[in-house]
Amino acid sequence: MKFLVCLKQVPDSTVRVKVAADGKSVSTDGITWSISPYDEYAIELALEHKDGDASTTVSVVTVGPARSRDALRQALAMGCDDATLVTADDKIGGLDVAKALAAVVKEAKPDVVLCGKQASDDDQGLVGPALAETLGWPHVGMLTKIAAAGDGIELWREIEGGHEVWSTPLPVVGLVHKSAKEPRYPSLPGIMKAKKKEIPEKDLAGLGVTPGAPRAEVVAMEPPPQRGGGKILKADGDVKALAVELARLLHEEAKVL
Amino acid sequence: MKILVVAERNDGKLRRVSAEVATKAKSFGDTEVIEVTGTDRYHPIAHANAVAAHAKSSGADVVMTGATLNGRDLAARVAAKLGWAYAADCTDASAKDGAFEVKRPMYAGKVRATLRMPTPAVLSIRPGAWTLPSGAGEIAPTAVAADAGAEKLKFARFEPTETSSKRVSLSEARVIVSGGRGLKGPENWKMLEELADALGAATGASRAVTDAGWRPNEEQVGQTGKTVTPDLYIALGISGAIQHLAGMTSSKVIVAVNKDPDADIFKIADYGVVGDLFEFLPAFTEAVKKTKAGA
Repeated sequence: MKFLVCLKQVPDSTVRVKVAADGKSVSTDGITWSISPYDEYAIELALEHKDGDASTTVSVVTVGPARSRDALRQALAMGCDDATLVTADDKIGGLDVAKALAAVVKEAKPDVVLCGKQASDDDQGLVGPALAETLGWPHVGMLTKIAAAGDGIELWREIEGGHEVWSTPLPVVGLVHKSAKEPRYPSLPGIMKAKKKEIPEKDLAGLGVTPGAPRAEVVAMEPPPQRGGGKILKADGDVKALAVELARLLHEEAKVL
Repeated sequence: MKILVVAERNDGKLRRVSAEVATKAKSFGDTEVIEVTGTDRYHPIAHANAVAAHAKSSGADVVMTGATLNGRDLAARVAAKLGWAYAADCTDASAKDGAFEVKRPMYAGKVRATLRMPTPAVLSIRPGAWTLPSGAGEIAPTAVAADAGAEKLKFARFEPTETSSKRVSLSEARVIVSGGRGLKGPENWKMLEELADALGAATGASRAVTDAGWRPNEEQVGQTGKTVTPDLYIALGISGAIQHLAGMTSSKVIVAVNKDPDADIFKIADYGVVGDLFEFLPAFTEAVKKTKAGA
């Protein structure tokens, strides 16, 4: 089986995000960049498949600025076979990214394309479904498991109370929510091997994509309202009285009970 | 401005977010409310084709869905099909100079963004973002047939989560009781559930807890789990990792119980209780029951 995982490089999830001086973007000073968490799960899902079947190949691709090469290198070190960088401005819109990815997919001809269900920077979740729509392929969201079934595969979609299991023809796009195991760390031999691999570069024009699809435009960004100054109650005396007091505060003061 | 609202059902009943969006949409202009029928459940291609075709034929300027699992999935595919601008999980929207201005969280809730949406556009609206006014009229969506013949996926079966609770869904809940590592083990969730039952609340969990397999993944609140905005969020034995805080910091009122006075969760809590969870929790559940009975 041939997998293609689409990933995005984003500020690491442990980073405290700050709004930049322009008031409509995020400050990138001293930021640690990582593969978006759901994309890491997507890589792990594909690699788990490869662990069980040596004939499986896992390619990765990203559409983004030159720094995204590090994220691709990381994916190679985790065990992916090859990587492609499509260089583009990091402000490119989701529909244009989907068009660029669709062009890459048409050349690479994978059986399964995996994307994280959303990137942890813009949290839109547009690119995966848009890629499927552009290709005319089916897609399954909230993917947590890929299982072989007869000639095809079954895709597990997490919903409230359990999983929907969908049988699908190939090719298909999966939007990954979680993998069975935590994404693996690169091994030392993996890192050494990844260093030697060429990462071919493409650009939008070469893929026949002229960016300009309608899109949302950020006009302002602000940190969420500061919280704090809450009431702290210490449970070192009468626990029952404290419990009654908290219930009273929630009822009379906060009016949520 | 012509608004097309796509309503959604859960167990045959209209979801509350559908009523919230349909009611608010009227303030933007001429509003039509539809629901896609003819399939036993949500099918991405069949539903997106039907909604996109209806949006075009009816001359809609904006398509709105609730930002539920299915609503977000649908909205994204519809936006791609129509080639329209898209914003997910909006917490507010207003018409402005022939365009829409929307607010939505980004960076897993660490940033709030205001975006300008050229129309036509597709928006998914976060449940609870627009509270339903009391006395709001019933919503009666028009049925639009799914393009079932175009669907390529086949539904095989449903696999229920064994430990899954039969409570309100986490993303739409007005009250959430969440547990962390401080609860020490899955066997202690009974205590948390008693409080949740007394409050009519959904149950949530920190990532440490779902990773350890104490609770199902679907209960995870935070950056790689669900982002929630209930009226009341009660965090029990959760220290407050930045990824968890990102998922619940927009809750209206936050209560935290933790034995560590320096836990980060207290920095954002409206009410904090420093002390032993196992002593406090049963007493608090009792107090809640009494307050509710008296209210």
